[in-house]
Order: sequence, then C-alpha cells, then structure tokens
Amino acid sequence: MSTQDKVIIRKLPTGVPGLDEILGGGLPEFSFNIIAGAPGSGKTTLAHQIMFANATPERPAIYFTVLGEPAIKMLRYQQQYTFFDHAKLNTAIRFINLSHVVLEKDLDAVMAEIVTEVEAANPALVFVDSFRTVVRKAQGVTSDVELQGFIQRLALHLASWQATTFLIGEYVEGEIQNNPVFTVADGLLWLSQQIERNSIVRKLQIVKLRGQGSVPGLHTVRISEEGLQAFPRTFGLTGKGEKPDGQRRLSTGIAKFDELLHGGIPEGDSMLMSGPSGSGKSILATQFIAEGIAKGEPGIVAIFEEMPDQYVRRATSFGFDFDTPQKNGQLEIIYLRPLDLSVDETVHEIVAKVKKIGAKRLVIDSLAGFEMALAPDFRTDFRESLYRMIGALTRMGVTIISTVEIEDAFTSMNLSNFVISFLADDIVRLRYVSINGQLRRMLLVVKMRGGPHSIDMTEYQITDKGIVIGEPLRGYRGLITGIPGPWNVESAQIQDPPVESAT
Amino acid sequence: MIEVFPAIQDLARRILAVEAARVRAVGTPVDEAVRACGKLQVPLSRFTGPAGFLSLLTRALVLAKAEVPALKVVQVGSDGNLAGFDELKHDQDAGELARGRVVLLAHLLGLLATLIGESLTLRLAHDAWPDVSIDKTDLKEEEES
Repeated sequence: MSTQDKVIIRKLPTGVPGLDEILGGGLPEFSFNIIAGAPGSGKTTLAHQIMFANATPERPAIYFTVLGEPAIKMLRYQQQYTFFDHAKLNTAIRFINLSHVVLEKDLDAVMAEIVTEVEAANPALVFVDSFRTVVRKAQGVTSDVELQGFIQRLALHLASWQATTFLIGEYVEGEIQNNPVFTVADGLLWLSQQIERNSIVRKLQIVKLRGQGSVPGLHTVRISEEGLQAFPRTFGLTGKGEKPDGQRRLSTGIAKFDELLHGGIPEGDSMLMSGPSGSGKSILATQFIAEGIAKGEPGIVAIFEEMPDQYVRRATSFGFDFDTPQKNGQLEIIYLRPLDLSVDETVHEIVAKVKKIGAKRLVIDSLAGFEMALAPDFRTDFRESLYRMIGALTRMGVTIISTVEIEDAFTSMNLSNFVISFLADDIVRLRYVSINGQLRRMLLVVKMRGGPHSIDMTEYQITDKGIVIGEPLRGYRGLITGIPGPWNVESAQIQDPPVESAT
Repeated sequence: MIEVFPAIQDLARRILAVEAARVRAVGTPVDEAVRACGKLQVPLSRFTGPAGFLSLLTRALVLAKAEVPALKVVQVGSDGNLAGFDELKHDQDAGELARGRVVLLAHLLGLLATLIGESLTLRLAHDAWPDVSIDKTDLKEEEES
C-alpha cells in the first residue's frame, strides 16, 4: 500500500507544552485512551487540559464523573488553572455525573447512559473519570470476558461516533498485564510520582500508542498554575540539526589562549574547563561570552551558584558590561534553582533562550552547582542527562563551556570529579603549582577532539582585566603533580622539542 | 449565622419574581421557590449527581432556617423536591413567606458561588433563567464596595 492509500489520522493538540512532541505530534483522533496513575499524579488536570484545548460548541466535550472527585469540587479546584475557560462550560464542555447509575445499575445501564448522552451531544471528546470505579463495581458481578466485551463495545461506539475518548483511572504498576482495559486501549498515558529522600519527581510515560511513534522513556512533568508541562527527553529537538563541522573557530577573547587551542574553540564543541576553586574558570568563561557579544554572537550563561546580579557585578569588575547586552537581547543569564530541578527542565529553559536570542555561545557555571540543584532522583542519571543535553545543544550550533570544580591533589591531576570527560570535545585543566615558594597558576589543554593543540603547560594570571596567559613553564618536572622540581639536563634533552599534540 | 451577600439576595429576588409571574400565568399551585429550586435541580444533578444536589439544597435550607425560623416546616424530600411551602402559605404572613423564599434561594446560589465561583454560578443561573438579567451581576459587589 502506498503512502497515498493509507488513512490519515489527524492529531489533536493536547494543550500540554511538550506533550505533543512526546506523543509524536499529538493525540490520534478517535482513539480510545487511558490516563492512568496513582492519586495526585495529575490525571484529572491532564484530562482537563486536553479537554479545554479541543472542545468547541460545535464539537463539545462530555466529562462523565463517576464516584471519584465530585464534579463540584473538581470545578472548584480546576478553575484555579489558567487553561480553565469559564466560557466553555455548558457550551463546549458538559459535566455529567454517572455515579448513581454505576451504584444502582449494571454495565448495560452505564453503557446506555453514555450512549444517550453521546448521541445527543455529538461530542468530539469523551472523558470518564474515574473509569476504574466503573470497572471495580462491575468486577464484583461480571466476568472478565463480559467486562472486556463492555469496554470493547464502549470503544467501538465512541469511535463510531467520532469521539476521542479518555478513561481516567487510578492504577499502580503491575496492573498493566492482562487488564482488559489496557488491552482494548489505543493509547496509555501513565503518570507517576517518584519519591527519593525529600524530593518528589513527576514523570510521564507513553506506555502504548497505536498508529504513531511516540518518544519512549520517562519524561519529567511539572504541575504549575498553568497546568501540566512535559519536558520531552528529546528536548523538543527531534531530528533537528547537525552539529557544525568545527571548521570555524570561536575566539575566547584571550588571544594567547586561542593560540594554545590553535585558533579558538571549534564551533559546536563542548569544552570542559576544570580546576580548583579560585583558579579562574568562571572568569575565563565570562571572557568567552564577552568576546561573543563583541563579535555579535549572542550568549547564554546558566548559573547555579550565584545570583544573576552578583554575576553581572563580577563581570563588571573585570571590565565587561553585561547589563547592556541583556537589555538588547544579546545575553541571557539563567539562574535555575527551583526545588527538585530536572536536567530536562533546565535544557528546556536553555533551548528556549537559545531560540529566543539566537545564541551561539553557552556557559554552564558550574556542573557541580547544576548537579546540586537537581532532585536526588535525577542525580543518578546526571551523566546520561548531560550526554543528551550537550548533544542536543551542540546540534543547535551552540558552543559550550562547562566549568567544573575539582579538588587539587598535589600528587596527581584529575580532570574532573565527574566521570564525564568523555562528554567533552575539548578539555582544559587549570591548576595550582608550587614554584619557588609561590602558589602559581598554570593551564593545560588536555584534549581537543577537532584537531591538534598546544601541549604546553602554560602559566597564567588573574588580573583586573581577566585571565592573562603567560609563558610555558619550562625547566620543571612533575608540573602536573602541582609540586614540580627542577628538570635535570639529561631529561631536558629527551623532552625537547615536541610542542603540539596529535589528535 | 452565615449571611449571603445582598447582591445574591437581589438575584434570588429577581428569579423568584419571574417564577411568581409564571405561577400566576399558568395557574399552577407549585410555589415559586419550589419551582426555582427545581429548575436548578436539573443542571446541578447532571454534574453533581442527584445526591450532590440533595446535599446542597439541604445545606441551603438549614442556613435559611437559621435566618427565617418560619421555614422550619419546609423539608427536602429524598427526590430533591421541597415540601412544606403550602403549609407556610396558610400559617405565615406574605412578607415572611416571601423573605423565606428569597433567603432559601439566595443560600443555594451563595453555596454554589462559594464552591464553584461566581462566574460559573451566574452561568448556571443564566442557563436556567435566560430572561432574567444577570450578566452584569456581581454577587460580591456589596462586600467590595
């Protein structure tokens, strides 16, 4: 069958930011869906959001309530959300209580009541909340086969009447197998809450969706006064973009540092800048952003350890004006410290800003702060999340510097406390060295995936103009331990003359 | 005593006036308060269920009785209908009876406004009495002024 022959399934918008992407474009029209999850997971709110996004007076929605949350309380609470539109009630949206029918009669009566209302109203959407209650009542007197028959008749009737249906129910994991409701359903949206230590993280999974490809996995969900917002694991960037080829180099704003990088940071690279406290990581990253602004390349700074005004003041102390570019849309400083932050939410925020100002440069200052801001549940997935985040952002053509604080050991040189070095295209290590009774600073380009780079261990200083790169430290041995000693003549002859790395 | 806002009382008064006119026109023996509550019964039962409507009307009657003791003979039947207004007509003067009707309906509307908000309550009232001008009614205007 050619693509021209197959039925076109229209996709309905959910009204939930991020969810359409997860669903693969929206909800299949005329599908029969389950919204399942534990109490408090946001099932009713999700259902209402879908309803208010789609119901019209011509093709209304019918919301059957059954022994769950009384409709009068549902209305009381749901109207607190911004998506709740009073004007739609009783015109585009009708609430009908089925509790008495379920309590006093059998499944046939429930079916008859639903059929009567559906045939009278010609709804585009039908909701039954909670359908679990209908099933529970029926299970006492009805066999599984009869129950499955009822659900199948219901699904068939509602599809025939061109209604997209949602059955809302409180289910726990483990109930999916051999459940007639789930067998008949075209779509199964599962909401959950995960608790770890003092944090609660909401997740959404599309367990099943017939006819279209959804994004697999657990997606973070947040509920605010605007209702649910989903954060797709794809960061809203499905199939978009290719990472730049890195031919173009971005200047860091420090000419001698650019020389060590053989021309600057390759466009679209992710650079890890690691070093101990006070070594100048943030200053170097600030100079990278300032240079971008000077060259008309908008930048974003995501900070986790200080407030934006503190960050701006610090930049000012090095002679960089970060107020003006913020006003004229060349710079965004993102400060993210909500409770139980997720990587997906952070990236969502960053991606939104990248799109807004057309950012070319991004600084994440720092990864340690970022990790601390995350809910404990997300910290376990930090590496995996960073991998997805960096991949997504660099595919957008953004060049990233991430700072990471590490403890300087004076016998060895770690690259980072995180085992994340493989995520970085380029790694620069800053460290303290003890020379002649002075604590001096040196930096080393450890790795550049895109090409050769200097292998010099170069001294630098932090001045009131920022980082100033000095000369390579020659004549010492054991510099990477931080406690070098004098190089003897024999060894020096062996060391000279390599000055560049191979890739 | 829980009091309802004068604006709600005014709305109840206007609704009852419309119903009284219909009672006279049709010549029905059904009291206008019973008719008014009965008109709200249909839409309210649809979304709160018959039991939900029964609870609301019973609560409204309890509140109204505290304000107008003459309503003590009025009862809510298990079907959600009001009984006892015929008896009231014989025993009470017209003024007290009229006040009782207004207070009862006002408490029912006031309960709704408290639970589901002013906007939805007015919408319900408008659907039940499209000929009563209520679009610009602010149920709490007296409180705010």
